Amino acid sequence: MSTNNIVENLKREIENFSIQIKAEKIGKVLEVFDGIAKVSGLSDIKSSEMVAFPNGAAGVALNLEEDLVGVIIFGDFSKIKEGDEVKATGRILEIPVSDDILGRVVNAIGTPIDGKGAIKANKTYPIEKVAPGVVTRLSVDQPVATGIKVIDAIIPVGRGQRELIIGDRQTGKTAIAIDAILNQKGQNMICVYVSIGQKDSKLRKVEARLEEGGAMAYTVIVSAGASEAASLAYIAPYTGVSIAEYFMDQGKDVLIIYDDLSKHAVAYREISLLLRRPPGREAYPGDVFYLHSRLLERACRRNEKYGGGSITALPIIETQAGDISAYIPTNVISITDGQIFLETDLFYKGIRPAVNVGSSVSRVGGDAQIKAMKKVSGTLKLELAQFRELEAFSQFGSDLDDSTKRTLERGKRAVEVLKQLQYAPVKTEHQVATLYALTKGYMDDVPVEKIKAFENGLIEYSERNAKVFYKEVAEKKMWSDKGEEELKKVIEDFKSNFLAR
Amino acid sequence: MAVLSNNNIARAIYLASKEEGNKAEFYEKVVRFLAKRKLLSKTADILVRLDKIANDEEKIISAKVSSVEKISEKTKKDITEALSKRYEGRRVAFKENIDEKLLGGFRIEVNDEVIDLTLKNRMKKLQEYLTHSAK
Repeated sequence: MSTNNIVENLKREIENFSIQIKAEKIGKVLEVFDGIAKVSGLSDIKSSEMVAFPNGAAGVALNLEEDLVGVIIFGDFSKIKEGDEVKATGRILEIPVSDDILGRVVNAIGTPIDGKGAIKANKTYPIEKVAPGVVTRLSVDQPVATGIKVIDAIIPVGRGQRELIIGDRQTGKTAIAIDAILNQKGQNMICVYVSIGQKDSKLRKVEARLEEGGAMAYTVIVSAGASEAASLAYIAPYTGVSIAEYFMDQGKDVLIIYDDLSKHAVAYREISLLLRRPPGREAYPGDVFYLHSRLLERACRRNEKYGGGSITALPIIETQAGDISAYIPTNVISITDGQIFLETDLFYKGIRPAVNVGSSVSRVGGDAQIKAMKKVSGTLKLELAQFRELEAFSQFGSDLDDSTKRTLERGKRAVEVLKQLQYAPVKTEHQVATLYALTKGYMDDVPVEKIKAFENGLIEYSERNAKVFYKEVAEKKMWSDKGEEELKKVIEDFKSNFLAR
Repeated sequence: MAVLSNNNIARAIYLASKEEGNKAEFYEKVVRFLAKRKLLSKTADILVRLDKIANDEEKIISAKVSSVEKISEKTKKDITEALSKRYEGRRVAFKENIDEKLLGGFRIEVNDEVIDLTLKNRMKKLQEYLTHSAK
């Protein structure tokens, strides 16, 4: 482009420019500290209204006092001085949204941080919104296939459900979430991964893993890193759910993961204490329950009349030394529709995913399971429960009656089948076939250490030979007698070959 | 003893000043009261609030007008008219301020509301417009 061209363009732009100058509400900064500013003036400001600082930083008014406003600052507060002018914008905090956001990494205020340039957005969504009302909702009856056997079979998650993933550090909480995202490929699901207060190295790893699995095409990552201000960590999950709502409003199904809400609560505690709100239990402010309940209530399944679509939420909570009776874990457990409970002991025993089947529960997911899965998982649940009961006894004596022995052997095999490698989601049809073989006793005479090999071999073999069964499960969600016969034959054929080896 | 806020004190002083009587004696009484209550250190704040209360009650608009050079009487009259219409006040108390950095035009501040008609503000808006549309 020549210089003349640039000048011409510039002239045209300037001609198009018209300003409307309106009266603006202005306040003055009285003090700034730790990401908080106390501002005088701003008489008609609303709660959680956005304000603008002269250096371009944005803030949100949280505390409205008689002649002071407590503002949390997003971004760099070191350049804000006493006496700076603060403009009220008259708008509640909002973030830009568009379809182009898919595959991108954005920060808590919707600005891209992945170095791939600006995101063209023609719409904005407020980050705080009242959750959809009762009349607009549908009950949960469509499954979310996570690809993790133990979850899909025993603690199923439905579209629109809120299922908590809870456990100590290093028990594989994020791994479950990432696996669930990876398995959504081709399942007509948009995923939002909200990273709150996590190390940037971990975020990088997650992003690389999703990229590698081809999952970024339908995923958005919202990140408020450990080095960023508490105010950003505080709004990040709301930003995430607003992005999710944008897609839900198009009638799509969305899966959102909050990793993790304990750090979110800590960020909110920091802000609240700095704003001098009175501390309560564990120094959390009084409204910390509302903080999470209003967030998770926005997960829902809407009926067709109101646009359809759903938001499934998988919040993550990190416990300290397995203490689920601490304040935040009990709060979030009571808000969600069930929890997936991960344990360090199981993890080190080699049972991975380290899901404690006894304490984990899904309160609404059962209705969402497909019929075929329900058929096999019912027996499995019972067998596992009996196994756990007898397991402790069996360690004392060797003299056990036959039926006890059988239960124990079956249980051992069930535990083995439910083990699964990370980043290796299993298709629902394959899960059904494997669990069918297990619960019908076909695996009882396979040695425990060979179960994994048997399972993998069976999947591969049946994929080729049990086409009718797979087709029926995939399309009609249940097998017919014909399909069952076929599968039985395939399992028997494979087993005789396998054991002869 | 209930704690008195500076606002309460300012309002009390304003209401008391409305009553008939010897003004000199009244002022003395106020200062004595403040001294007795050890509130002399807060007089600056109380005065600001008193000013605001008096303006509110008597519908006086106190406007601060900043400009590059002294504004003409005609402009002043126009501004006064516009402001008394906008804020439904009876009288406009002017406070003028010369600031060369504004480049041109003027800026009116009433309480916490600002009407910025300066060249500087327009330039800033143009800058925002040009950099934003370039994206």
